[in-house]
Amino acid sequence: MKLSEMRAGTSGTVRSLGTDERFLSRITSIGLTEQANFQVVKNDRKMPVLVYVRETLLALNRKDCDKIEVSEVGA
Amino acid sequence: MNCIALLGQPNSGKSTIFNQLTGSRQHVGNWPGKTVEKKDGTYTYKNTKYTVVDLPGSYGLSGNSDEEIITERFIKSGEADLVCVLVDSSQLERSMYMLADFAAMDVPAILILNMMDVAKGQGKTVDAGLISQRLGIPVLPFTAAEGKGYEELKSLIEAELKNPHRLLTRPDVTAKASAENGNAKFEWVDGILDGAANAGKMQFKLSKFDRVLLKPFWGKVVTVGIILVGFLAAMLIMSPFMSAASMLPKLIGPPIANALSALHVHPWLVSVFSLLLPNTLYFCISMSAFVFGVNVVFGFLEEIGFLARASYQFDGALSKLGLQGKAVAPILMGMGCTIGGASGTRVLDSWGQKMLTMMVVWAVPCASIWSIIPVISGMFFPVWGTALVCIGIIAYIFILMFVVSKIFGKKLVPEETRSGMIMELPPFHKAHWKYVFKEAWIKCFDMFKRALKTVTLVSVIFWAFSFSPSGNIESSLLYKVGTFIEPVTKFFGMGWRTFMAFISAAFAKEAVLGTLNAVFAGQSTVADVAFNASAGGVDATVLSQAMTQAISGAEALAFMFACTFSVPCLMALSTTYKESHSFAWTAKTAAFYIGAALVLSCIVYHIALPFWG
Repeated sequence: MKLSEMRAGTSGTVRSLGTDERFLSRITSIGLTEQANFQVVKNDRKMPVLVYVRETLLALNRKDCDKIEVSEVGA
Repeated sequence: MNCIALLGQPNSGKSTIFNQLTGSRQHVGNWPGKTVEKKDGTYTYKNTKYTVVDLPGSYGLSGNSDEEIITERFIKSGEADLVCVLVDSSQLERSMYMLADFAAMDVPAILILNMMDVAKGQGKTVDAGLISQRLGIPVLPFTAAEGKGYEELKSLIEAELKNPHRLLTRPDVTAKASAENGNAKFEWVDGILDGAANAGKMQFKLSKFDRVLLKPFWGKVVTVGIILVGFLAAMLIMSPFMSAASMLPKLIGPPIANALSALHVHPWLVSVFSLLLPNTLYFCISMSAFVFGVNVVFGFLEEIGFLARASYQFDGALSKLGLQGKAVAPILMGMGCTIGGASGTRVLDSWGQKMLTMMVVWAVPCASIWSIIPVISGMFFPVWGTALVCIGIIAYIFILMFVVSKIFGKKLVPEETRSGMIMELPPFHKAHWKYVFKEAWIKCFDMFKRALKTVTLVSVIFWAFSFSPSGNIESSLLYKVGTFIEPVTKFFGMGWRTFMAFISAAFAKEAVLGTLNAVFAGQSTVADVAFNASAGGVDATVLSQAMTQAISGAEALAFMFACTFSVPCLMALSTTYKESHSFAWTAKTAAFYIGAALVLSCIVYHIALPFWG
């Protein structure tokens, strides 16, 4: 599933970050990598998605979250 | 040559260390051939001079932006004898990514674990000794904003320049950016930190305050509310300075006048020294106080983590302008003071984003405008009419922002470099007041120095134009020029009087009422009031009578719109130049705003003419 589809409070693992090099290095540099475990803190309509990963609370643009493939863990 | 470079992600406290080390001995310019800001400075330790280069803020070194390319090139060039890599100890694993990227370059380095106070507050411990052992370079726990530990840092730098260390280990990565590389870098980081730092909690819970602040609708309401309270606080901070400064002209003006007259100095010069200069001084002080107040409040809001939340809230709206959430802070600052807003654009990631944000900030009417519009509108229109004028102005802000982003957005922030918001929301934490005040003071003092130079020069020119030997405005150069070009300005909806006030509005909004008073009521000469920051000397009833007799409601309306959306003020112009380092773009911005204001004035005038002709 896509990161943008995950409900707040659930946790997941990143499966794929897509192939756009610019986006890839940008998102990696702030801590979101493939296989990384994260928690979705907030996911409201039309708002950036709030994700907790590597001890950091990140706000990620919604459109970008459509590009990130994830799988939910221990729902 | 003792050159050290500071490297770190945004929010790592890089500029704090830079400012604390170099104080006011800074030089800001551009990297050769690029529109990326280059900051360097010096400090002296034990009679040796050190040069510090503040490398552009970037998240990594993958060559994805001008900032990253420049940073990488500079480090590789070996110009720096030592690179200080900064990381945020409260988010150690994530921010060590920069070190993992840096490791590809084999140069002497030290690692600074900044924000130890925040990490401690979260119950985290870091074993700097173990990390240092694994990396092979010195590791220094630090809290940059507290202002302590700098002696230790300087002595470490001294020692390292004599006996440098390089990283013993580096991540196993290939040259091309890929998901595997990202993983490899973090694996390397994890290996370094294993057993040296305790991991934070795995589950995250939003604080009560965050749960309100991050709500889609109410969060925005609360955010704007907090900003408004912030402006009130800014007013409180600056009001003692302003009222002290307001006494200056009366206090030092007459003694100077008496002393000079006694020496038989020409009356022309007497008025320059006794009227013009004290008023200029007053104006510069109160303007700097304004900048100080706004910067203290926004510095505080930034420090505690509030502005990051505001960026989250307004990212969607700003992306429509080609900007990112971070631009919200300068735009909100602009509601108080455009100068503050323009200098607040430093938080943006790239030069293009910064320049575009500044251009957008210009469209936001500052607090001074709201002190003159109701006065002028009240002379011509009933209360509900004034309310409509204000609503019209507010509505036009959005139109203008949109137009600016459409015209200049593509050039400044090309489509392919536009990225969505990827930003960390730091945990709320206490502000380091000393640091907030110090930063605000540096900005305020810098502004004061520039203001004194520019405003004095311009007010002398303005004064010369409006000087009238007989005291009658009609014998001044201003009148002659004004009436000569009136046929042209009339087309745009403004007669020579309102046009002169329109020009003075581009110097300082505070001068508008004074100028109107001089050109309409002839109560004082333009020179006396043009740079007097208060409308205290203006008799509203007399001015109202004179203005309503002389011009139509349509002209007043056109004038109000034109002066609100023209160049905000001389110092906003000067600050835009200082921040952008681009004369061409500053000139472009000014030309666009003057042109757009005239077109707007023309449209408003011709629409309003049938109703209030």
